[in-house]
Amino acid sequence: MNTGTPITSDRRNGLGIMLRIVGRIQRRSALLWVLVLGASMIGTAAGVASLYDSPDKIHSYAQAVTSGNALLAINGKVEGIDSLGGVIQDEFGFMAAFLLPLLGIALVARATRREEESGRLELLLGGRIARHEPTLAALLVATATITVTVVLFAVGLAASGVPVAGAVLYALSLGALAFVFAGLAALLAQLTQHARGVYLWSLLVLAASYVLRGVGDATQTWVSWLSPLGWAEKAAPFGDQRWWTLAIPVAIGLALGVAALGLAARRDLGSALVHSGAGPQHAAAPMRSPIGFAAWIHRPAILGWLAGGVLLAGMMGALSQQLLGAMAGNPALAQALGVAGGRPLDGFVAATQLYLAVIAAGYLVQAIGTLRAEEADGRLETRLSGTLSRTGWLASHTLVVLGGLIMIVLGSSLVLALATAVSVGNMAELGPTLSSGLAYLPAELVLAGLALALYGLRPRWFAIAWAGYAVVTFIAFLGPGLKFRQWVLDISPTTHVGNPPLGAVQPSALTLMAVTALILGAIGFAAFSRRGVPQG
Amino acid sequence: MTKTNFVIRTEGLTKVFGKVRALDGLDLTVRQGEVHGFLGPNGSGKSTTIRVLLGLMKATSGLAELFGSDPWHDAPRLHRRLAYVAGDVALWPALTGGQCLDVLGATHTMVNKRRRAGLIERFDLDPTKRVRDYSKGNRQKVALIAALAADAELLVLDEPTSGLDPLMEQTFQLCVRDRCQDGVTVLLSSHIMGEVEALADRVSIIRRGRTVTSGSLAALRSRTRSTVHAVTVREPDGLPEAEGVADHHQEWLHGQVDSRFTIDPDHLDAVIGRLHTAGIHTLTVTPPSLDALFLRNYDQSPSPANSGDNVTAAEATS
Repeated sequence: MNTGTPITSDRRNGLGIMLRIVGRIQRRSALLWVLVLGASMIGTAAGVASLYDSPDKIHSYAQAVTSGNALLAINGKVEGIDSLGGVIQDEFGFMAAFLLPLLGIALVARATRREEESGRLELLLGGRIARHEPTLAALLVATATITVTVVLFAVGLAASGVPVAGAVLYALSLGALAFVFAGLAALLAQLTQHARGVYLWSLLVLAASYVLRGVGDATQTWVSWLSPLGWAEKAAPFGDQRWWTLAIPVAIGLALGVAALGLAARRDLGSALVHSGAGPQHAAAPMRSPIGFAAWIHRPAILGWLAGGVLLAGMMGALSQQLLGAMAGNPALAQALGVAGGRPLDGFVAATQLYLAVIAAGYLVQAIGTLRAEEADGRLETRLSGTLSRTGWLASHTLVVLGGLIMIVLGSSLVLALATAVSVGNMAELGPTLSSGLAYLPAELVLAGLALALYGLRPRWFAIAWAGYAVVTFIAFLGPGLKFRQWVLDISPTTHVGNPPLGAVQPSALTLMAVTALILGAIGFAAFSRRGVPQG
Repeated sequence: MTKTNFVIRTEGLTKVFGKVRALDGLDLTVRQGEVHGFLGPNGSGKSTTIRVLLGLMKATSGLAELFGSDPWHDAPRLHRRLAYVAGDVALWPALTGGQCLDVLGATHTMVNKRRRAGLIERFDLDPTKRVRDYSKGNRQKVALIAALAADAELLVLDEPTSGLDPLMEQTFQLCVRDRCQDGVTVLLSSHIMGEVEALADRVSIIRRGRTVTSGSLAALRSRTRSTVHAVTVREPDGLPEAEGVADHHQEWLHGQVDSRFTIDPDHLDAVIGRLHTAGIHTLTVTPPSLDALFLRNYDQSPSPANSGDNVTAAEATS
């Protein structure tokens, strides 16, 4: 038998081993997160610094975005917006509100419940790893990644000319935001049975936080204090600089983390609050057909992204009247939103459609990525050992994914049109809003084609599709507001659509993009029917 | 020899992944109606062979035929006639076992509903449970039931009993025999000697992507050395030097000669003659066990030059 001392040293070794394992698993995704976040922040900061290079310009921007409550609800209420840092915080606010929580969620979910679900954790706990150590290691690695991101943020902001104290506090407030969600994901990983559940529940909490912060900021009440996004905002890095507010997310993140560790140490491996019960003995008839089965596989992705699109469209539509009023009172606001010129309402719909196109493109990349998972997990091999041909399999999935795309685009556009119509009191916008949504289809399909081609040629390269999507997102969200150079904007297919309904749709560009998407898709099909299955 | 008699035929099959030669001139023939045991150590190329035969992977060179056609070009048509259990059974975690059976069955031409119900009962599977809640053995059962319920001419089973308990393994053997009586051909990749011995008519042993030996079990046995233990009244004449004799040990025990050696089956008769002349007191001739047969074939090293060295090393340490 061991005495006390060796056991403690064994434990310490266990954590060390676990840290190295989690570090190794997370190495690539953590690096990717840090790079994407760092590039987004530094790009935003540099863009804002060059665009608003005089106090006058900053002042007119501040005047514009603080007129009316609509933008407060979307981007958040930035205290001290009449400064370079304030403008950066306002521009980066919308992206930061979901990217940083996602950083915390993804890093922890990947290293905890996903490993447990796959059975790999069982292997480790069979060794000298204590039950709570995998969760602790996941939290420590996530915290380290967040810390690196914070340092990168602070340095990037300071380099762009933001005062150091404000830069540090802003970076810390964003890091603390990611930390709260890391703690939340760690706790949810103890309660849900699957990694998918961790994502689902933490994203619901994030959506609720966003709504609470929006309501609080629009109504100027204490409601914002209920939201982690509100805590980050109340730090007011470019206003009153309330350093003490950092204590709230840190304390709550720690509490969530400690609760997660306590549960991990006490609960059975593989246990969860809710277990799936018995199910049907037979598959429903539609599921037996290749298309029906593909629809079953893609249903969660279609519904999830549709919900995201509908929420965004509904929110933007509902705020449209307020935004239009604010724009009428202050032309600089339209400039800041990147919708100057033409009818303000058209500009507003155009800006929203660009956001919806980003959502639709994200759905496409994720849905096609599912095919890679089917293959990597070994299910494709079983699927193709029957009478279903490869082309038949890929074609039925492609059809379902395209059907889902149409549903997402039409559904979101319809909600946008209706919400706008109700808000503005004019039903005439329905047609143009729907057709402007559809005009983005070829641009979205270019990404789908890229994803299909990568899947067919070399599934291992699929990350390139996500990188392409990140570029499109970055350009779509920040390009118009920060006035990127034309050649940068031209990289993204969404630029070539022509910004309908504000601008005219470019038929030749749409045709060219549709042909490009078709060629890429054909390459994907041809390569897939020629390669071995499974292939990494 | 007409090739139509062969359900599966490969000749000089090679498959190269980058720098790795997974298959290196593999020959395999499976005749109609037989259970063919397909044996080899881990990583010897069994699953790759099966994937090439199913048209999931394209051979680098060599011939691969399934029902006399090229599986790479005719995969979906040929798959109408077979059912497959993958080595690593992967199913959709959110589906129940019963739903999986239906989804898998939908890609087979004909599923015998009554046989399916019978199989669910024989394998004692709860089809209302989600796949994610199944143990490894239960997931294996789902794949086995789906394959055995299909009205297929050929069953391709890649290590089908991994994870099954001995009772279920027994059930599996009975079910395969039932299917064989209906004239179904079976390619059975396996590690379990007892299972192969119980089911297989012929076996092929492969190692490092190459066929080491193949034939009926009886023929394989007859090609392998038997162990002889004889007690004789006098010392047998010229036994150590006799043709076919190896590993010879001899000692005097209680006034009699105790001889132990191994013998090549072709020379058994001549050596027994010599023992007879020396006056046999007791005699046991042990044929090689199946395990020994496989171990001998598995154990060889890549090239002939190396193999000599390794055998000496193994003998020296033992």
